[in-house]
Amino acid sequence: MLIETRNIFKIYDEGLESEVRALDDVSLTIDRGEFVAIIGQSGSGKSTLMNMLGCLDIPTRGDYILHGTNVKDLSDNELSRIRNKEIGFIFQQYNLIASLTVQENVELPLIYQGIDAEKRSRMAMEALEKMSIAEKAKSYPKQLSGGQQQRVAIARAISAKPSIIMADEPTGALDSKTGHDILGFLRQFHEEGTTVILITHDNGIAASADRRVRISDGKIVEDTGPVIKYPKAAEKKAAEAEANSHEEAAKAAQEAMKAAAKMEEELL
Amino acid sequence: MNVLSTFKMAWRSIKGKRGRSVLTVLSIFIGIAAVMTIVSVMEGMKEYTRQQYAAMGSNKIDVSIYSWSYDENGNPTNQKDYFPILEEYCKSLGDMVVGVTPNARANGTVVYGTVNSANMESKYDEETYELISSPPQMYYGSSQYSKVNEHEIARGRDISYLDIEKYNQVAVLGSKAAEIFFGNVDPLGKNLQINGNNFQVIGIYKQKSTEGTKGYQQNQMDNVIILPYSARRLLGGEQMTAFQIKASSSENIKEVISRVGPYMKNFVPEGSGMVDVYSQSSWQEYENQYLTTIGLVLGGIAAISLIVGGIGIMNIMLVSVTERTKEIGIRRAIGARRSSIVAQFLIEAGMLCGMGGLVGIVVGTIGSLILGKLMYQLTIWPSIPVALGTLLFSIALGLLFGSYPASKASKLQPVEALRAE
Ligand SMILES: Nc1ncnc2c1ncn2[C@@H]1O[C@H](COP(=O)(O)OP(=O)(O)OP(=O)(O)O)[C@@H](O)[C@H]1O
Ligand SMILES: [Mg+2]
Repeated sequence: MLIETRNIFKIYDEGLESEVRALDDVSLTIDRGEFVAIIGQSGSGKSTLMNMLGCLDIPTRGDYILHGTNVKDLSDNELSRIRNKEIGFIFQQYNLIASLTVQENVELPLIYQGIDAEKRSRMAMEALEKMSIAEKAKSYPKQLSGGQQQRVAIARAISAKPSIIMADEPTGALDSKTGHDILGFLRQFHEEGTTVILITHDNGIAASADRRVRISDGKIVEDTGPVIKYPKAAEKKAAEAEANSHEEAAKAAQEAMKAAAKMEEELL
Repeated sequence: MNVLSTFKMAWRSIKGKRGRSVLTVLSIFIGIAAVMTIVSVMEGMKEYTRQQYAAMGSNKIDVSIYSWSYDENGNPTNQKDYFPILEEYCKSLGDMVVGVTPNARANGTVVYGTVNSANMESKYDEETYELISSPPQMYYGSSQYSKVNEHEIARGRDISYLDIEKYNQVAVLGSKAAEIFFGNVDPLGKNLQINGNNFQVIGIYKQKSTEGTKGYQQNQMDNVIILPYSARRLLGGEQMTAFQIKASSSENIKEVISRVGPYMKNFVPEGSGMVDVYSQSSWQEYENQYLTTIGLVLGGIAAISLIVGGIGIMNIMLVSVTERTKEIGIRRAIGARRSSIVAQFLIEAGMLCGMGGLVGIVVGTIGSLILGKLMYQLTIWPSIPVALGTLLFSIALGLLFGSYPASKASKLQPVEALRAE
């Protein structure tokens, strides 16, 4: 299982009169290659759930198991690595960094991976091209329309080729035509094998997902159940990610061996 | 995490908030310029005093013998020819001593042709009353006079031991004295008349003063006539009671002083007088200490302004962290580690202060030039280590005062940071 929450709670001001149960005993599993919409009214706890699944937040109680690892046991650096490599976030407010150009924004996740400038630039341009916004690479976010900014934000989310995309109301600030385009991109990623978690309060948008999880007052009140439409693509994507991390591990091992050899040399 | 891109991004956010960045740089550069000015003026002064003492003759030790008991004729009871005793003893000190000579003025009128020292007058600067020129000074010297006083023979020869032994009537002239008496004529072999006695010029010293040397110093250095001290028998004068020793190094000065003093005491009867042995370089030490103290006091004041500037930096960085909470949240969401956030803010603070440092160096250089001119009439350029030190110091200041805001930024929870507006 890719994602599994076991009875998680997120409680603000617990025990006080102002106590809010943003998540109230949520157990949910999502498999590789799913396209899930999480729906619910404003304040129902959708964003809280996504932050939890995206390792941006930690549950008050309960366990979250990602890739078979309990997130509780991970260090801050390991969580950073997961957000960096495995998950691509898309937000309602685009969340681009104003002082950086479009291309630099898209390169940011790659910078944090320590990828060299040339490869970084290539990967960023690739992502921008995929979003049909490569011609704005040298512009600043301020100079773009909302829809263009969201396309840049999506390019940033996919530049590191994550296996999961989490989108929190990605069309909320856009007109319906532009919103439609954005949804089209999400479906495309899904077809390519990416697991997509889409948050929305709009039933129409939710209809484009394979599975709908409705949430109200922090509780799951409806779940249409798992559907995997493109299992082959999902498998391929998973294998790629695996190979990628193997490659990384191999590289690390190689470097460690080199360092050891050097130390030995120095000792002799 | 890529270092170069971190620098690039820091530069971007500094540029993005141009007005505030300029103010930040201003808040820090004044203190830095002040510290730099103080340090470089102090350094310049120390170097200046060092040069001054070096010009006066470094490593010199003065030996004076005083009397306070007199016989019925009014002559001091401890009158004795001390020089041979001292010279003998200095020889026994070997390498520690470079030379020893009497430090005694010879009096008399000096005549060559129509030039007569009796007709010469001292000239003084009208404003500062400093001596500009005077009649040549005449000194009795040993064969080591030039070594002790750091003269070099330009032409002819120096006074020799035999000149002293044989009571030869010879003289060595400083360059200025040679010019006064002989003008364009070659002085070597000519006879000067000193109190009516012929003294043959056997050597000329090289000019010692340079363009910047003040009048009275030039007078001391080059307007001199040196006679073998044995000429005292002919020309008269009191017993020689003042001598100069030149030690081979500044480290040896104390050692020589501690040996010569007690030794010479043996030859001065108890109660009849005293021996005083001291070195001018102890004044140099004293002066350096004095300068260091002033430097510390001024530096302390400047340091306060630096702390104020540093707190300003910290304040601005804290505001910046608060303002950019959302940005920090975004960066954390896409994979920045805590350490990347720390690095980002530290580098930003370091760069801001580094720029403050650069401006401070420019202003500090101007400051030390102006202050040096106003206070000491010197042109003081800050040394490269001082400038480099200033730059490093300012960067360190940025890192120091940036570390709290940076750590605060890195401790923000990703969700909370993302929720900020
Ligand atoms: N930091 C917080 N402190 C206190 N309460 C919070 C905090 N964050 C969220 N909540 C509360 O938790 C509940 C769920 O919030 P959440 O943002 O998950 O809702 P949502 O479903 O995403 O709503 P929307 O559709 O408006 O974005 C809300 O009642 C909210 O007020
Ligand atoms: Mg929400």
